Amino acid sequence: MRRLRRFFRTPEAIAGALILGLLVAMALAAPLLFPGDPQAIAGPALLPPFQDWSLPLGTDRLGRDMLAELFHGARTSLAVGLAAAAAALLIGAVVGTLAGFAGGLIDEVLMRISDAFQTVPSFLLALAFVSIVGPSLGVVVAAITLGVWTGPARVARAEVLSIRERDYVAGARVIGMHPLEIAFREVLPNALPPVLALSSVIVAAAILTEAALSFLGLGDPNRVTWGGMIAEGRAVLRTAPYLSIVPGIALVLAVLGVYLAGEGVVESTAVRRSLP
Amino acid sequence: MSVLTISRRGLLAGSALLLASTALPAIGRAQTPKKGGRLIVAADSEPRNLNPAIVASNGVFFISSKVVETLAEASFDGKDGLQPRLALSWQGAADGLSVTFKLRDGVKWHDGKPFTSADVAFSALEIWKPLQNLGRTVFKDLEAVDTPDELTAVFKFARPTPFQLIRNALPALTSVVPKHVYENGKIEDNPANNAPVGTGPFKFAEYKAGQYYRLARNDDYWGKDEPFLDEIVYQVLPDRTSAAAALEAEEIQLAAFSAVPLADLDRISKVQGLKVVTKGYEGLTYQLVVEINHRRKELADLKVRQAIAHAIDKDFVVKTIFLGYAAAATGPVPKNDPQFYTPDVPTYPFDVAKANDLLDEAGYKRADDGKRFSLKLLPAPYFNETKQFGDYLRQALAAIGIDAEIVNNDPAAHMKAVYTDHAFDLAVGPPVFRGDPAISTTILVQGGIPDGVPFSNQGGYKNAELDALIAKASETLDTSARTALYKEFQKMVAADLPLINVAEWSFISVARDTVGNIANNPRWAVSNWADTYLES
Repeated sequence: MRRLRRFFRTPEAIAGALILGLLVAMALAAPLLFPGDPQAIAGPALLPPFQDWSLPLGTDRLGRDMLAELFHGARTSLAVGLAAAAAALLIGAVVGTLAGFAGGLIDEVLMRISDAFQTVPSFLLALAFVSIVGPSLGVVVAAITLGVWTGPARVARAEVLSIRERDYVAGARVIGMHPLEIAFREVLPNALPPVLALSSVIVAAAILTEAALSFLGLGDPNRVTWGGMIAEGRAVLRTAPYLSIVPGIALVLAVLGVYLAGEGVVESTAVRRSLP
Repeated sequence: MSVLTISRRGLLAGSALLLASTALPAIGRAQTPKKGGRLIVAADSEPRNLNPAIVASNGVFFISSKVVETLAEASFDGKDGLQPRLALSWQGAADGLSVTFKLRDGVKWHDGKPFTSADVAFSALEIWKPLQNLGRTVFKDLEAVDTPDELTAVFKFARPTPFQLIRNALPALTSVVPKHVYENGKIEDNPANNAPVGTGPFKFAEYKAGQYYRLARNDDYWGKDEPFLDEIVYQVLPDRTSAAAALEAEEIQLAAFSAVPLADLDRISKVQGLKVVTKGYEGLTYQLVVEINHRRKELADLKVRQAIAHAIDKDFVVKTIFLGYAAAATGPVPKNDPQFYTPDVPTYPFDVAKANDLLDEAGYKRADDGKRFSLKLLPAPYFNETKQFGDYLRQALAAIGIDAEIVNNDPAAHMKAVYTDHAFDLAVGPPVFRGDPAISTTILVQGGIPDGVPFSNQGGYKNAELDALIAKASETLDTSARTALYKEFQKMVAADLPLINVAEWSFISVARDTVGNIANNPRWAVSNWADTYLES
């Protein structure tokens, strides 16, 4: 409870939590409010927003309901963001713990591999991966993960390097625990908090990368994505700018919400540390 | 204070004066062409091989048709729809075994050497027949080209070849290149493929990758006083949305091939100083086609194909996707073709209930989730409209219980998936009708075509009766009998639906008002532009 109160002390955190809550609500409510295929043709094409209250945000070039697309797009964005972040944190934590705890050759090999991934811009990596394997939701998640797992890996390794010298780790060794058991049951849980602090940054980056891929036509064509909606609207930017502006605003808000909420979490934990 | 008051009369007088001033240049517009000036044109792709004799495609013609000329060009009012270029006259023998061309006198290549019948013979035998994408079919029986004198070329065919077909092939397939440039070494690797040498009104001057192509005036051109322009610059603008902005900013004066998106035309037509021209593409009709993989058991069933045809609202496609700049198709020959088109074919009006009934009859009942079966749908990535139609088709199929999954590919991967690997169930393709069904249309439905041939029947459709009809038409010499056979061909294709023709569309040019003599032949964008001019 006290943590929650601390979290809500800053206005940024409140705003972030509100936006994020709204986003999650949109994503969860999408199949209830807009059952059926959101890409179904619902009315006349290029209807501007606020003209017809059965289609409050208007329609796109084929006459698809923008509001339904926006809600279902929130699902895709959040799903990709969370899945990519979860995968990146998992891979990063495991690799970082192994490297930090084992040291020596294993550390060298794993860290040079992560160096190799870090030298290639993560968006370029995702672009190349998707264009070779072919666009689908799973591939997009994998492509984004490829570019971002190195961050958590490095943070986890740094934490593990300090934790492994602690007395309780030495104690675990003495009672004869298997090194892998020590690494993952004793060390990793304690190294996790700073790694998790990265999650908001990763989710935000993943949402943006997914939107950029979709914008370039490399998103899953059978799902609504905000990036894809912006790209669709780009051809008629001068005559129907709302087609790009509406999903653009949604994207900005989503990334902002995730960021602010993440900041709030970091802030509240930082306060706890300084005032024990 | 009185200085600032605006009276209604004063405002009216002022605006009338303004209006009058804009009308002034319009009054003097129909005057004689002006000489000089540089025309700047938007180019959306950068073909590397610019030899139109090898690559007969509109992307190449757009640039190199000004440099390399054909024997004849399409015409709105000429005999058989043709006007002379390098050939002055053409005559087919009654037995279909030879065609005699009389060539233009006093024509010089850009390097100063004279143009003769030897160049025509060389181009035909060494390039059009063995190397050219379209010439391979049309000139497959060409055996020899006799050159009794420097200005006569006689094409000899091993088997009777319809003169009508050769005539219809003249504008697109007969780019003549100089023998003395190409005779040594491998033709495909000749440097002139990237910097073409021809007889045209413009010489190839330079190419800066990613920036522009520049063509300069040919002072020795055979046309009297032509060309009018000093230079043509093709500004590379790969981003389709930038062409409209560039026109408005007067950075370019012409955007052909619908470089300005259809959705922007309404707005741009109201911009002062710009005109939207829909003419000048009558000879370049693209067809929006649903390609069907007949290896899929469901799609091999005629009832399923009929159901799909009934599920497509062609009117919606024309109005919403093409914004009216297209026509609904009835069969494999477009409506605007003056020679072959017949409306007398089976049609498939938009009728979802009937489509559902047909699928029920075919035995593909809806499962509990409302779906009958699933398909892979590959929309061709070349045009915005083909991609949008893919999105529409997915919805149209969903309405009749067919679950289509869209697979997007880049152009190279799409070609491979459809024409080599056959990894598709339905595809959306934009084949081109080139004035004669035998040039590039019958190949779409003909049986026994090897893997990997682009824009051919890769759905594995086989119909012995249709193949026999195609074979018969290809050797029928009499023009009216041949035309009748192709009308029969349209009926059979529309009845058996080896593919579904949805719409036919062409392109739109947007130009500044100062560009004169545009769209004055049915292939204007890919013709030589010798008479195009600029008012200063």
